[in-house]
Amino acid sequence: MIRKASIFGATIFSVTICIGLVFAAVAGLAQSRAPQANNTIAAALPLTTKSPQARRLVEEALSLYLDKVEQEQSIEILRKAVQVDPDFAMGHEFLAQISLDSAEQVGEQEKAFATRSHATTSEQLVIEWYQDAADHKLISAITKMNDVLNQYPHDKWVVWMTTWWLQSQAQYERVIAVYENSGITDSPGLMNNIGYNYAYTRQFDKAFAMMDKYVAALPNDSNPQDSYAEILRLAGRFNQSIEHYRASLAINPQFYSSQFGIADTYSLMGDQVRARKEYEIGFQKFSLPELQQILWKTREAATFVREGDYDGTEHAFQGIADYAHSKQNSQAEADTYRQMAMCQQNPKEALVYLGKAEAATQDGKNALKIAITQELAQILRARVEVALRMGNKEMAKSSLERLAAMSESSNDKLSELAYHGAAGAVLFSEHKYDQAISHLEEDTNNPLSLKLLAAAYQKIGYSAGAKRTNETLTNLNDPTLEQALVVPAFRKCSETPSSCVTNTKSASLKK
Amino acid sequence: MLLMWVAILPRAVQAKQFAIVADKANTTSNLTASELVKIFNARTRSWPDGKAITVVMRDPSSADMQLVLRKLLNMTPEQAHAFVLAHRDAIMVADSDDAVLRFVSTSPGAIGVVDLYSLTQDVNVLKIDGKLPVEQGYLLRGN
Repeated sequence: MIRKASIFGATIFSVTICIGLVFAAVAGLAQSRAPQANNTIAAALPLTTKSPQARRLVEEALSLYLDKVEQEQSIEILRKAVQVDPDFAMGHEFLAQISLDSAEQVGEQEKAFATRSHATTSEQLVIEWYQDAADHKLISAITKMNDVLNQYPHDKWVVWMTTWWLQSQAQYERVIAVYENSGITDSPGLMNNIGYNYAYTRQFDKAFAMMDKYVAALPNDSNPQDSYAEILRLAGRFNQSIEHYRASLAINPQFYSSQFGIADTYSLMGDQVRARKEYEIGFQKFSLPELQQILWKTREAATFVREGDYDGTEHAFQGIADYAHSKQNSQAEADTYRQMAMCQQNPKEALVYLGKAEAATQDGKNALKIAITQELAQILRARVEVALRMGNKEMAKSSLERLAAMSESSNDKLSELAYHGAAGAVLFSEHKYDQAISHLEEDTNNPLSLKLLAAAYQKIGYSAGAKRTNETLTNLNDPTLEQALVVPAFRKCSETPSSCVTNTKSASLKK
Repeated sequence: MLLMWVAILPRAVQAKQFAIVADKANTTSNLTASELVKIFNARTRSWPDGKAITVVMRDPSSADMQLVLRKLLNMTPEQAHAFVLAHRDAIMVADSDDAVLRFVSTSPGAIGVVDLYSLTQDVNVLKIDGKLPVEQGYLLRGN
């Protein structure tokens, strides 16, 4: 299992103890190394605080996070550190990045930025890099990140920050380059992270070798086995994946993501009955937080989609929508209705569900404003898709215009991706393949867009791009609803062309 | 809960973006697409101030440069390779983005193309048709 992402451009990272830091001996003075000149390689990023205790706490927290992969303990200790020294800018920054609480992430980033004058130039650069990312000043964030990295290319903390941030930007090849250049080979946290990046670039031999090291480094921890299982599943090695999930549970029977990982894997293998049995074991055995309950119930609902069982799909999703409604979780309720619409073959019924989804966003209960904005963007995207299926150009156009305006004003990445996906679908339907490609290439996270992109490449005669995109789609083993709707049918179409539906339509279920 | 966060992360490869960079002393901040094409196909050999232009890029047969050359010059990889070989006086090939950045930052008149995520503060990023790499409609992005 990968650890969490923060809201700052989906940044995610952790850091560990840095050996050999020079400690100022005079109490009350900033304890740090002198700022480094540009392009000078230094050993370690300074950590400036007036409190030796705060510094020790941060080092302990970072070690727990990166070397022991203990996120929650690490967060608690970081909170103590910034209480001891409220002017500890990097302490605030670390807490902003690894906190699981979005309000805390925002607050701690503000404190890091406000207190950065107490830190060295290098630390300021790190804080400004994250601030720029949060402010969507991407070019400035990138240049600052690279300037920090060029100064400390072998520092475990800097390598960790850089690789996590680049991973959040889907720059997997660059993550690997930074890691391989670092020469760091003894950090379990980095092993976990880099293993996933090898997998995302389909370098599975290297990914498995990294996971072997990770398991050996933390033999009594469930997470290495859980990560190994997920990576094996990404590679399509399902039986081995299940073995590792079971190994994870053998170490810690309470590591519930492994139980649901087993269920997800059976679902991807095509054994939906067994998958549902495994989901049920999880629901019976573990008391889950609300969002986890909704997540795994949604995965369970996807088993009916994979079976082509309309009634089962509708029943399962309706149960989730009712649960979300009872918990006054408007975003989850809206998302569930949106997913029900995506599964609908009858576009008029799909519109009814989209109406319910939009109504739930208007309720907006217990949801951050940004989450509601993102959900509304997804709903509008689905509305465009439904309109195209109906041949209703006016509805497609008006929904796309709303989505474009929202994308422009929200300055939000997920809303922007939804816009690109929808715009690409509209342009594809108008046979404007070159223009469609420029949008669809921005949304290759989504199987619906990937499928259209492969077709658009083919239409313009870019065979290499079509082949590469087809391979990506065929090998997609994520247990999501979008995967369930697109990939199995796409694989079948590749194997048996007579079974293909038209490229402009996504798969939906038959009643 | 952790997985809910992870679920919003991109998993597939996103569209690549490439930045056109010049040395810090270069006063040009924007090029039209057609001006950029003329620089890369070696028809324009000097900047408005008279400095000679040297183009520097990574191996034209690499996947990244194939994309750039397809977008700019509409050339196949083989055509691009032959073109670069035939214009060695105006086009240099470097072995990494770091090498491109080093060359551009220390060579007045040089212009290079690098992955957006390689950028450092040692160079200026040029707009193309008034747009920076992160903006919608920017020319040098794709798969």
